[in-house]
Amino acid sequence: MVKIRIPTPLRPLTGGKSEVEAMASDIQSMIESLNGQFPGLKDRVCDDKGEIRRFVNIYLNEEDIRFLKGKDTPLKDGDEISIVPAIAGGAHPSQGDA
Amino acid sequence: MFNLIVPRQTLDEMIAHARAAAPHECCGLLAGKDGLVTRHYPIKNIVASQGAGVAELFDTAKIATLDKLSPEERADIAFWMDARDMFAAQKDMRVQGTAMLASYHSHPVSPARPSPTDVKALAFYPDIAHFILSLENGAHPVVNAFLIADGAVTPISYTIA
Repeated sequence: MVKIRIPTPLRPLTGGKSEVEAMASDIQSMIESLNGQFPGLKDRVCDDKGEIRRFVNIYLNEEDIRFLKGKDTPLKDGDEISIVPAIAGGAHPSQGDA
Repeated sequence: MFNLIVPRQTLDEMIAHARAAAPHECCGLLAGKDGLVTRHYPIKNIVASQGAGVAELFDTAKIATLDKLSPEERADIAFWMDARDMFAAQKDMRVQGTAMLASYHSHPVSPARPSPTDVKALAFYPDIAHFILSLENGAHPVVNAFLIADGAVTPISYTIA
């Protein structure tokens, strides 16, 4: 069993829970398990090809899974996973207010 | 929920962060409890290193403009929060027993209202407030707060304590 920390924008899908659990052997199966428990969650985390969205960062314990094996990163009992969608934006370059 | 109370000191720290980062945009998070902001987390703006990854969040006009700029110049008109800083901030929020209440970012030379890029990208976080700090009028920074969801922008008021 692994523990997954759910970010604010995904909590409407988890009934407001900030932490949930899943039985999973790797990140991919964790996403599938979460989607089974909380339908629609996979669409927020992955693109239409099933790849983890570029702005969605996933940490296994203290490490970014991009520096491990991505969605094939293996999980073990007791692991803690954090989903961290980036926040981004920015001003219009020339019009000043658009 | 969005009856936010922001301590004067926190507001001053946010403005100082924006001034220090200019001409680049700064960004950060505000956390607290029951609408009272108790902690301010400056976050690194790493838009310069984002490359093609911006396509998922930014509008096409912004992407076209960013493509014409040097990496350093990109931070003048955009921000992308460093995920490791966000991860560390959220970890601290768990320790403190607080929640993420708001994001903030600066507009160094434009007004304190959301750009089309803000409306598109910040919509992923519809449940927190988004503060925009304008340094357009250098001596008199303007700080406004908004809710942004599904293409709609709702200005919200906040109290300075």
